[in-house]
Amino acid sequence: MPVLPVDPRRLRSGTTVLALAAAAALALSGCAGSSLDQSGGGQAGDAVKIGLLVPLSGVYAPLGEDMRNGFQLYLDQHGGKLGGRTTEVVTGDEGEGPQTGVPAAQKLVTQDQATAVVGVVNSATALGLRDFFHESKKPLLVANAGADDITAARKSEYVWRTSFSNGKVGAPLGAAVAKEVEGGVYLIAADYAAGREMVAGFRRTFEAAGGKVAGEEYTPFGKTQDFQPFLSAIRGTDAKAVYAFYAGAEAVSFVKQYRQFGLADSTPLYGAGFLTEGGVLDAQGDAAAGVKTALHYSSELDTPRNKEFVDAYRKAYDEAPTVYAVQAYDSAAVLDKALADAPGGTGEEVAKALAGVGPIDSPRGRWSFDADHDAQQKYYLREVRDSGGTMVNAVVSELS
Amino acid sequence: MVTYLVGALNGLAMGSLLFAIALGLSLVFGMMDVLNLAHGAVYLVGAYVAVALAGDGASPAAFVLAVPAAAGAGAVLGGVLAGLSRATPHHLDQALLTLGVSLVVAELLSVFFGNDVHSVAAPAPVAGSVTVFGESYPVYRLLVIGFGVVLAVGVYALVERSRLGSLIRATVADRGMVSALGVHTGRVLVGVFAAGAGLAAVGGVLAGPILGAAPGLDEKVLLLALVVVVIGGLGSVRGALLGAVLIGQVQALGTTLLPEYASFLVFAAMALVLLLRPAGLLPARTAVHA
Repeated sequence: MPVLPVDPRRLRSGTTVLALAAAAALALSGCAGSSLDQSGGGQAGDAVKIGLLVPLSGVYAPLGEDMRNGFQLYLDQHGGKLGGRTTEVVTGDEGEGPQTGVPAAQKLVTQDQATAVVGVVNSATALGLRDFFHESKKPLLVANAGADDITAARKSEYVWRTSFSNGKVGAPLGAAVAKEVEGGVYLIAADYAAGREMVAGFRRTFEAAGGKVAGEEYTPFGKTQDFQPFLSAIRGTDAKAVYAFYAGAEAVSFVKQYRQFGLADSTPLYGAGFLTEGGVLDAQGDAAAGVKTALHYSSELDTPRNKEFVDAYRKAYDEAPTVYAVQAYDSAAVLDKALADAPGGTGEEVAKALAGVGPIDSPRGRWSFDADHDAQQKYYLREVRDSGGTMVNAVVSELS
Repeated sequence: MVTYLVGALNGLAMGSLLFAIALGLSLVFGMMDVLNLAHGAVYLVGAYVAVALAGDGASPAAFVLAVPAAAGAGAVLGGVLAGLSRATPHHLDQALLTLGVSLVVAELLSVFFGNDVHSVAAPAPVAGSVTVFGESYPVYRLLVIGFGVVLAVGVYALVERSRLGSLIRATVADRGMVSALGVHTGRVLVGVFAAGAGLAAVGGVLAGPILGAAPGLDEKVLLLALVVVVIGGLGSVRGALLGAVLIGQVQALGTTLLPEYASFLVFAAMALVLLLRPAGLLPARTAVHA
């Protein structure tokens, strides 16, 4: 390494090289540790390390908290064991996007030596991690991120999704709305990949069932606080209903303003379930009454399996479970089965075992992986109703 | 046509809020040359005061009480920031310092209130809607417009017609000369800093029923306030008012007219002003008036 002349630019690149070398050394020592671990492994009953990659900071932090709770609940219910192995959970903070999520995942795999990683809320992070997990031969169980490509176009034998893909959440409602609404439906969503995929999924089945689109608008993602101009535009069309996709703070603003500007009384609001899920619904309160959404879960599902789950969840965390909690809970259930079929406990064995886990008996109903490694599941039509003072997503029917 | 009228009305409501928020930022920037990047965090403190006191379905009294409570909290925070920023004369240091404070405040708020999105219900008597130009419009937003008018008149009277106001204007124009006249300008500066921060916190309460309270909102509001200040010109009350009303209209009316460009409109307006009038539309130095 050239030491003189001292040029600050050089110097900086010098430090970078040093830092990289240090990181490489760290990674190497980590690898050495792993080969030792593996040589000692082999029988069921050994410990296993699972990385939990969820947002603990930033705008998605409430989702991360639910997911961590869901995963932990499954472990607590099963004596802290997955597939007969004592499980140590290492948590990484995914943050808001790939710039924090990707390094956190890499740390879980290379430094902490996790056998598999569960979580990932952000789609860009999930897509950015695909090659890393594929090449590291470690399984990634995506427990929320919805981009269609994660399991469709860019699927990997190491990447499996226990949650949903955006297009499939949008699709089931299409035919139902086409039947229920006489007249055009206005489509509105946040202007980013998830918004466009949800609307595209809805539009496909909606138009196939004879529905007419009265208008379509995408609002600036994360920058829209006042929806009045867009709501006014909806009023200007002859739309008889609206299909919307928003999440988080935008979902709260949209649904509240939809009522404040008087649209809720005249034009029924439909949407993807995230529009009224979890903490978002608490903040919307009465304003959300009557909003109909489609999702693969509701805490109000009237099945013994779900009732038992909701009771346990309430007991542990003093709140109703959300779809995010269920997705993480199911990820633990999937790993439980896969690890039982992976005698060596290596990433490759677990990935192979994932293909054979079969149906999962989940609070959301039975589901299984499809050929694309995506969750094949039922979707429910839910309507926001008042239940003893709190608003809940009552289940109206199953959507085909 | 009616759509545009309602849009313009809505622009006035947003403009009123922006005026309350941006005024303090502009005066502090103009007087002390301190770019207070914690201004958005002060706003968020106000919003969470509203959440804590008025929350959902609160009584009107609780909501009214939240206003002075937030003003007090904001003023204290502003006083602290004024003291801190005087510790270092360098602009970059001050900007970094206030940015640091804003991160700490935002983190504390997220520790106390969690990361969930909170909403604030408008006080019951004004929670409904009325028909304006044939469309239903929330009463609360009309009230916000009224508040904006009262605030503008009040601040005008204070700054333009009172002795304290002339002192503030003089300090903006030439701090050294005011100091030479035997006035303790430091106190004026701290006072304006505290009052501006208090006003931003009040803005947080009043915007509660419209924007709610959530982590990250502080940055969005700070950005809008900075745009307002850049457009209006530093250190001028009239500039802040003009900038706020303009940005309110650009957001509401502009989005109605050109929905596909909604995310750029505000910044396009700012770029245009910077090209034509780099010092802002009504900067304090050329127009020492309020």
